[in-house]
This record gives sequence, C-alpha cells and structure tokens, in this order.
Amino acid sequence: MSASLPLNLLSLLLLPLLLSGWIQRVKALWSGRRGPPLLQPAYDVARLLRKSPVYSRTTTPLFRIGPWCLLATTLGSAALVPLCGSRSLASFPFDFVWFAYAWGLGRVALMLAALDTGSSFQGMGSAREATFSTLLEPVLFLVAAALCLKSGAHTFDGALRSELLGGAWLLRACAVLALAVMLQVESARMPVDDPSTHLELTMVHEVMVLDHSGPDLAAVQLASAIKLFVGSSLMATLLNPWAASGGPWAAGAQLLLSFAVATAVGTVESLVARLKLRLVPSYIALALASGSVALLLGAWGAAAVP
Amino acid sequence: MSLSIFLLAVPLLALGAVLALVSRSNRASAAIALATQAGAIALVLAGAGRCLLGGGAQELSWPWPPPINTIAFRVDGLGAFFLAWSLPLTWLGTLYALGYLRPYFAQGRHGGTHFALLNLIALSFVLIYSVQNALVFLLGWEIAAVAAWLLVIWDYKSQKIRFAGFNYLVSTHVGLFVLVAAFMLLHSKTGSMDFAAFATFLARPSPTRGTVFLLLGVAFALKSAFFPFHSWLPRAHAAAPAHVSALMSGVIHKAGLFGFLRFTLLMGRPEEWMGWTVLAFGAVSAFSGVLYTSTQRDLKRLLGYSSTENVGIAAMGFGLGYLGWCWGNASLALIGFAGGLLHVFHHALFKCLSFYASGAVYQAAHTVDLERLGGLARRLPRTAALFLLGGLAGSALPPLNGLVSEFILYTGLLSGQAPAPEANVVLVIAAAALAFVGGVSALSTVRAFGVAFLGTPRDASVQVGGEAPAAMLVPMLCHALLVLAGGLFPQLAIELARSSLGLFSFASPEVLAASLAPVGALATASRLLAAALLGLGLACWWKGRAARRSPTWGCGYTAATPRMQYTGSSFSEHLARIFEPYMPVSRRERLPNELFPQSSGQLGSHHADAVERRIFEVLARGEDAISEFAARIPAHSRFAFAAGLFAVIVLGAVASGGWP
Repeated sequence: MSASLPLNLLSLLLLPLLLSGWIQRVKALWSGRRGPPLLQPAYDVARLLRKSPVYSRTTTPLFRIGPWCLLATTLGSAALVPLCGSRSLASFPFDFVWFAYAWGLGRVALMLAALDTGSSFQGMGSAREATFSTLLEPVLFLVAAALCLKSGAHTFDGALRSELLGGAWLLRACAVLALAVMLQVESARMPVDDPSTHLELTMVHEVMVLDHSGPDLAAVQLASAIKLFVGSSLMATLLNPWAASGGPWAAGAQLLLSFAVATAVGTVESLVARLKLRLVPSYIALALASGSVALLLGAWGAAAVP
Repeated sequence: MSLSIFLLAVPLLALGAVLALVSRSNRASAAIALATQAGAIALVLAGAGRCLLGGGAQELSWPWPPPINTIAFRVDGLGAFFLAWSLPLTWLGTLYALGYLRPYFAQGRHGGTHFALLNLIALSFVLIYSVQNALVFLLGWEIAAVAAWLLVIWDYKSQKIRFAGFNYLVSTHVGLFVLVAAFMLLHSKTGSMDFAAFATFLARPSPTRGTVFLLLGVAFALKSAFFPFHSWLPRAHAAAPAHVSALMSGVIHKAGLFGFLRFTLLMGRPEEWMGWTVLAFGAVSAFSGVLYTSTQRDLKRLLGYSSTENVGIAAMGFGLGYLGWCWGNASLALIGFAGGLLHVFHHALFKCLSFYASGAVYQAAHTVDLERLGGLARRLPRTAALFLLGGLAGSALPPLNGLVSEFILYTGLLSGQAPAPEANVVLVIAAAALAFVGGVSALSTVRAFGVAFLGTPRDASVQVGGEAPAAMLVPMLCHALLVLAGGLFPQLAIELARSSLGLFSFASPEVLAASLAPVGALATASRLLAAALLGLGLACWWKGRAARRSPTWGCGYTAATPRMQYTGSSFSEHLARIFEPYMPVSRRERLPNELFPQSSGQLGSHHADAVERRIFEVLARGEDAISEFAARIPAHSRFAFAAGLFAVIVLGAVASGGWP
C-alpha cells in the first residue's frame, strides 16, 4: 500500500494525457503523417486552463458544474482501479457498483449540461449517449461478477489481480473483449463514435461538449483521457500475467500492456469506419454476449474449485 | 397499556375527519386535519416507538360481537417501521395540499372533504399496519382504496379524470376480490379470521399454501401496481392532484408490500419456487416499468411508471430474501429483505419529492406535458433543483438515498453465495437487469428534467407563473433533506428497519451488522463525493457569475428557434425503437414526398400501454361475443328462460354437491 500510493497518483496525473497523445501518434503513423507531439493533449489542456470561459445565455449554473462533476466522479472512480501495476488507492466490498454509478453521475451531469444549452445538436448527442450508455450498463456488472465468482473476491482490485483467477485465460479473454467495447463506447472511440469531429452524422460524445470552453472544456478532455486510461488499465491488469505479484515487473508489464491497448484502439480507429448509428446497439450486444460467456465461465469455473 | 394509547389515534383521526368535513372554512379544515394527524403521529409513536427501539411486540385484543368475535391488535417491528414514516409523510402531503389546492379554494371550492379523506387515509394506515384480524384488515384496506379513489377525482368535472378514477376503483376491487378469496380459503382451512390461526396453517407446507401465496401475491401486486397489474396506475397518477399521486405512489400503495411481508412472516420459511417467482416478477416489473418511463410525455404518468419500476426493485430484494431463507443463508436473506425494505422507504421519500415538484410545475404552468414545457429552471429555480434531486435519487445515483438500497441488493445478488452455479448465474443476470434499469432510469430523469426545465420555453402559449408557496415548498424541502440524509447517513434508515428485520427467525444482530457492513464504506464514499461536488459547485457558481455570455453556438446555423430543440419523444426515440416489441407505438405521419414539397408534413408518435390496450381489446371482444350470443337467443321465448333456469340449477347442483 505504501509504495502503491505515489505510483498510483503519479500515473493518474501523468499517463492519461500521454496515452491520448499516443493514440493520436498511432493514428498519424497509420495515415503516413508524423503527427503532433506525444504531449499535445497535455498542451491543449494547459492552454484551455489559461483561457476564460464563455457561457451561453440560455444556460443555468448546472451547465458550469457539469464538466467538473464529470471530472470529479471520474477521478473518484479511478481511485478504485489498480493503475499501472499498483494496488488501487481505495477499495471496499462491491466498489465496482460504486464505480459504475459514479460514472453514471458524471455522464448525467454532462448530458444535462448539453440539454441546458437548448441546442438541438447537443440534445441529439445527449440522447445518443444516454441510449448507448443504458445498453452498456450491464456489461461492467457481468464482467465484474464473472471475475468475482471465479476469484471469490468482492472488490475491483481483488477480483482483477487475484491469484485465484489463475489461468482462466478464456474468461480473461471474454472479459477483455467486453471491456474493450465498453472502453470504445465510454471514451467515444471508433467504431462507435468519432473523437476527431463533431459534425452531424458522427455526433455522440463530441457534440455534447460543443458549448463548453476554456477550463470547462479542459475538464471534459481530461476526464475523457482518464476514462480511457482507466479502461485500458482494467484490460491491461487482466492481461498481465504478473499482475498479482505487484513488483516492478508487474508495473512495467502493465505499462507496456496499457500502451498496447492504446495502440490497438488507435489501430482500430485507423482501419475501421464508424458504424451506422443503428448498428451500434448490435455492437454493444457483442459486449453483452461476451460478458455473459465470461459469467458462465466464471460461475462454472468457481464450482470446479472446491 | 401503550397499545391502547396507540389505538386512540383511530378515534382522533375519525374525529378530525368529521370536524374537517363540517367546518366552513378551508383553512380551518386544513388546520384540523393537520392538528389531528400530528396528534395521531404522537400517539402512534408513543405506542410503537418502543418497538422501533428494539422492544418486543405489543398486543391487545378486544372482544367484539360475532362474526368477528375478537379483534387482536399487534404492533411489531414491521408495522412500526411502516407507521413510523407513513403517517409523517401523509402529514407533509396534507400540508402540501393546503398550498396546492389554493387556486381551487380561491374559486370558492370547499376542501373539507379532501382533508377529511386525507385523515381517513392516515386512519387506514393505523388499522392495516396493526390489526391481526382479516376482516378488520379488509376494512382498513377498503377505507384506503375508497378514500384514495375519492381523492383522485378531486377534479371530477372532467370526464377524463372520472374515467381514470373509475378505472382505479375497478382495478383495486379486482385486487380486493382476490384478497377476499385468499382469506376465505384460509378461513375454510382454519375456521378463524385471526392472523395467528392463519400462521399455524401456513407454517406447514401444503398445496393450499402455494395457492394462498399466489392469490395473496396477485392481490398485493395489484395494490402496489406491479407489471402487468399496473394499467390503472399511470391514468390515476396523471389525473390526481400532485399530493394525492405522491401519497398513493409513495405511501398508500406500499400497503401492498407490507401485506406481502406480513404474510411472509406468518408463513415462515418459504419454498424455493416462491423466491424465484418473486424475484422474476420483481425484475419484470422493474424492467417494464422503467422502459415505459422513457417514452411518456406526461410528467406525472412518467413518475407513475417509475413507481412500478421501484416496487419491482423492492420485490427483487424480497425474492432474494426468500431464496436466502430457503438456502439457509441468513446473511443473503437479510441482505435481500433489508434492501427491499429500505428501497420501499427510500422510494417513498424521493418519489413524493418528484411528484410534489411536478405539482409545483403544474401550478405554475398549468400543464405537465413535457413537449410544451422548457426552460422552467430560470422561472422556477427552487422547484427545478428539488425535482432534479428527486430524479437523481430515483436513478440511484450517488450520493443520494436511492443508491443505498440498490447497493445493498447488488451486494446480495453479486455475492456468489447461491448453492449452485446456475443459481449464481441467474442472480448475476438479475443484477445486470438492475443495472440496465438504473441506466434507463437515468435516461428518463435526464429526459424529463432536461426537456422540461432546461433549454428555452417550447410553447409560447404556456404562461408560467411564479414559484410555489411556502406550504408546498416546505414539504418538498423536508423530503429533499431526507433524501440527502438517506444517502449520506444510511445507518439511520438501517436503524429504522432493524427491528422489522429482527422479526425474521434467522436474523441475529451480528449477521445483520456483518451483511450490511459494505454500506458503511459506501456512505464514506458518498460523503466524500458530496463534499467534492459541493465545493466544485460553489466554485463554479462563484466564478461563472462574471463570465462572458453569448448565444448558444448553432454550428453555423443562425435561425434556430425554440421549436427546434430536441423534444422528449426524439430524446427517447432510439431506445424506444430498440424495444418496440415491448412498447408498441402508433405513428401518425404525413411526410412531404415531392421533390419540392408544397405543404408541410407532420409526424406524431404515441406510446400506448401495451397491457392496457390488450385488456381493452379482450374486454371489447368479450362484449362482442356476449352481444352476438344474446342476439341469437329468441327475443321473447319461454324456451330461453327455461333453458337458463335449467343451466342455473345444473350449475348450482354441480357447485354444491358434485364438488367434494
């Protein structure tokens, strides 16, 4: 616990924006460009923080709170996840329930801020985000329950890193697949959403934040980056064979795996076109299906261990 | 001794009702109702308080002329738990009524009956939650039903409202018949109408026990508006004054769940199929109820469906409790019953708040049609904040009270403590369904609040008046504080429910403390989050006051009008399409088809209740069949009369003799 605290905080502060920069670099390489510096997202956030915001005359104070509520809940829930090979900052039994609902609160705050502007574009983005996240909600529970059943632990940290998880690579693969889809939906990535535009046809997440400016926009971008980092950390922990040991090897492997996940995200984004909106629910159903398979494996796997 | 003090509440409330009825001025009626209800609360708490604090149950029986013989009263932890919040919440509702009905009083309407009926509702609680005799139980049940019906049709001059009231009256009596059938069955087996006699019969497994369980389940499900017995509910909630909707949804119909728990306690250890049935029934109810909330355009109908959802969630808890009991797992059983009971209580707190806030909207704007509202947050900032709080709590978002009870349920469903892997899988799927329900509920809250309160007004013909008077704001504030307190200090509600949980034979304080331990960590997390949000909110509000302002960016389009804002139906259109098999929609559309359309097109969509539509279809078909059959009988023939008489005799003979 003593060593994990600084590591955890440090990685939470430094890595999310770097990881976003890495994805941008991967995408640039795939399209044959050199791409912006790795720290460009960090520069952007720093630049936005220095600016002063402009608010629509239609909005209420809710609009100003929305981005910060999103950031607070994202940071708060990130504390429950083992980041970068360390133990999580905090954990309590069934903390993944809290994790899911804290993310929910942040999302609701952002959706309300979008509706607050009275813009039909932002309303549209808000409605789509609400629909997709609703369908996605059970995935995390299926995956977490599968891991809990298999390992006998009841916390995020314990279930992900448990020695009891043992081999169970099929279970891990299913869980990672489900989490990958979840990551793509939650942090607005291809093939569900296009993070680089906010034009009508691609609008889900980006269009909700059209009216945010200055530090508020910085908060939204930072929160998205943290969500991405948390999601890739979850997957990296599951894929990391040394996760349970918690030594420097584990941290190194974890870091590499996180960047591998980010590379995968950037590659998918470069090679795959965005899905039609109508098809997104079916794509989410894929996550539900693989989460259910993981659940079955977890339940019967646990039964085999007396 | 203290139970006779307790029962003094009954004549006090009755006296208050009579006085409220005969008093000339509305203010005096309200004052009498409030004063007698406050007195009744004091008496009830004096009598039942000891139970809540961990004392034993108190009993009293009165001799009574036949056929009742004796009326036994018994206040135990369960009754005390329900009484402890039902009566104070009814009092707050009565206070709200004073503010809400003011425009009617200003037109010279006499409100004495209304306040008298509210008193009778309180009286019915005292009876239902304490009596041990089936006949008196039915009496209290009927008082509540008829009083609620009369309260619903306050605006009786509108045909629509009379129809909604009649619909409710019929449905609630169908439930009553089923309940009477269950009691008759029990009476035929025990020869008594006493709950104690029922208990000895129900404790032994027998086929009749299962039948009684199902009959009681249906009767209580009709009372609490479970899917598919909910069809009366959206109509009644939309028609009734806001405080009546609030009390019906939050308090009165909780009697159904109370009845269920009362008979669970009488029945003792259930069978496993009962647990699965209750769990599945609750999950289906939560799932269907919440899907319907996403498409409603009437704010109060929306909240009505949300009641169906929330009683479903509570029933999932009870189902889990049944299963834990069957499997001999005290911890799991306690988690289930605790989650269910707390959800019943928490739902009463946040749902009344939402209904009260929607009443404030109605009073200001004279409509609760989402598609006609918009931008209310600027005109009614207090109502907006209160409505949002209620909605967020209803979506089980932290740091409010709704999450506490759902969290407890999750700890049971995801614990992996079922004896077989199949059972564990089913429990996890129930948890995933609960997560989905939470997601849709958040969508509905965002939709209802965002469309009605945010953005700009959609309909220029809606004139929005001022903020609600103090008599309406005070009850809302009380509820809001309780909702917050329930989220930040969940131990308080657990303490309140402790004595009722202690009634279960398997319960022990140590197991209870151990099973609910995760709630403490949840509370800490909620407090931290609340502190962070409070700090951030204040900072944002403070810094944002002086910020630069400009119009909303229209993505380059400069002629945007308020009518172009996203509407409620467009907000939920995508979800509704995915679930169209469950939520049939009727579309009326005239789309422009030429290349250069000359006339404007139009599109309207309406989501009817699938169950209600089916009921009406079946009824209509039955009516057709009867009239067709009747048309075939020769108009005035002695033969028809003789045939009818013969049929009656044969049927009578079969019913009396042929059936052992």
